[in-house]
Amino acid sequence: MKIAVLSGKGGTGKTTVTSNFAVNIKHSIGIDSDVEEPNLHIFMDMKNSASEPVYTLYPSIDKELCNLCGKCGDFCNYHAILPAKNQVIIFRESCHDCGGCKLVCPNGAITYKKREIGKIFKGRSKYNTELHYGLLNIGEMSGVKIIDQLKKYSDLDGKTIFIDSPPGTSCATVAAVEDVDYAVIVSEPTPFGVSDMKMVVEMLREMKIPLGLIINKAGLGDEEIYHYCEDENIEILGEIPFDKKIAELYADGKIFSDSLPEYQDFFSDIYKKIAEGRRSL
Amino acid sequence: MKISICSKKEGLDSLIDERFGRTENFTIIDMDTMIVETIENTAKNEASGAGGEAVKLISKYNVDIAVVPHLGPKAEKAMEAFEIKTVSQEDYKTVGEVLEAYKSGKLKEITKKKGLTRL
Ligand code: SF4
Ligand code: SF4
Repeated sequence: MKIAVLSGKGGTGKTTVTSNFAVNIKHSIGIDSDVEEPNLHIFMDMKNSASEPVYTLYPSIDKELCNLCGKCGDFCNYHAILPAKNQVIIFRESCHDCGGCKLVCPNGAITYKKREIGKIFKGRSKYNTELHYGLLNIGEMSGVKIIDQLKKYSDLDGKTIFIDSPPGTSCATVAAVEDVDYAVIVSEPTPFGVSDMKMVVEMLREMKIPLGLIINKAGLGDEEIYHYCEDENIEILGEIPFDKKIAELYADGKIFSDSLPEYQDFFSDIYKKIAEGRRSL
Repeated sequence: MKISICSKKEGLDSLIDERFGRTENFTIIDMDTMIVETIENTAKNEASGAGGEAVKLISKYNVDIAVVPHLGPKAEKAMEAFEIKTVSQEDYKTVGEVLEAYKSGKLKEITKKKGLTRL
């Protein structure tokens, strides 16, 4: 079963929730798909990681064969290839590796070259949970390819996968939640929290992914989030109180249920609720 | 010889536009016949790559010289590949003023910043 953890914006406790799930649910794999700023591995103290490069392709033109007909440039949605006066210019970073230009070229002038856009790291946390994360190279525009690869690598095999998703509703977020079985939204009970969350709910409903909410820092803010959930028929899976002890543990980079065992059941109960709910769907 | 100027509206009285890839229009002047033509910049709504597409557009009108505001690295590279010379539009207000400034040699050619373009 694949469960994505997401939030409307950064800093709402998404990584905390993901890591607490990953350490409390047996046989789970934690994946950090926020490839621009991964931090799950820091929280979970990842050891012995091995890395693999992730490649993308970009077109390369055989000048002898190209007659500058312009077809590739007209086809490319991303304006990554531009036939000009005496040459075809390629904007490598804009290429989405769709493979289309090669298909439309009437002269067989296009081949593809690969270049590295980032890496995938795999290892185990100090809690012995299997962890994978991706890291996009600086200057690259899209991490979608790395996210797809991360999800492909994590073998289900009866395991539960918790995916820490990129914040917001970008292409990267869509890639992270695509084909998951369930989405857990993490939000704070403040007006800003609610407004950021709305977009995520809309995105998930459009993608037809079942969802539920964990309220973080409950007790802070106001009642709006509860009204919103009632109006929208969103299940509140659980609430993590606004508590000084929890905040201190966060700040120390600790998994709080590790030091506060009463929260271990909290996370496994939520997981059970999700798993059972799914069975009855 | 044809020259293009980024313009908000049509004709020589139009204000110039401060963007290249996302300019509203290009006013193109044939310096030999003085025929003035304004074309809509169909590249302006592109999510990305508007600069390169805009260069492609003006190249179809056989523009030799483009008067431009600041250019991004992609548009700069595209200008080079389409062999269009670029000059800086400076702080002039209308298309007509820019044209006069160009004629009297007041507009500077934009020299390529070597080593900056990463494609
Ligand atoms: S592979 Fe696709 S995105 Fe890349 S240049 Fe060709 S058409 Fe454009
Ligand atoms: S489609 Fe092929 S032949 Fe035509 S411009 Fe592109 S690379 Fe050249």
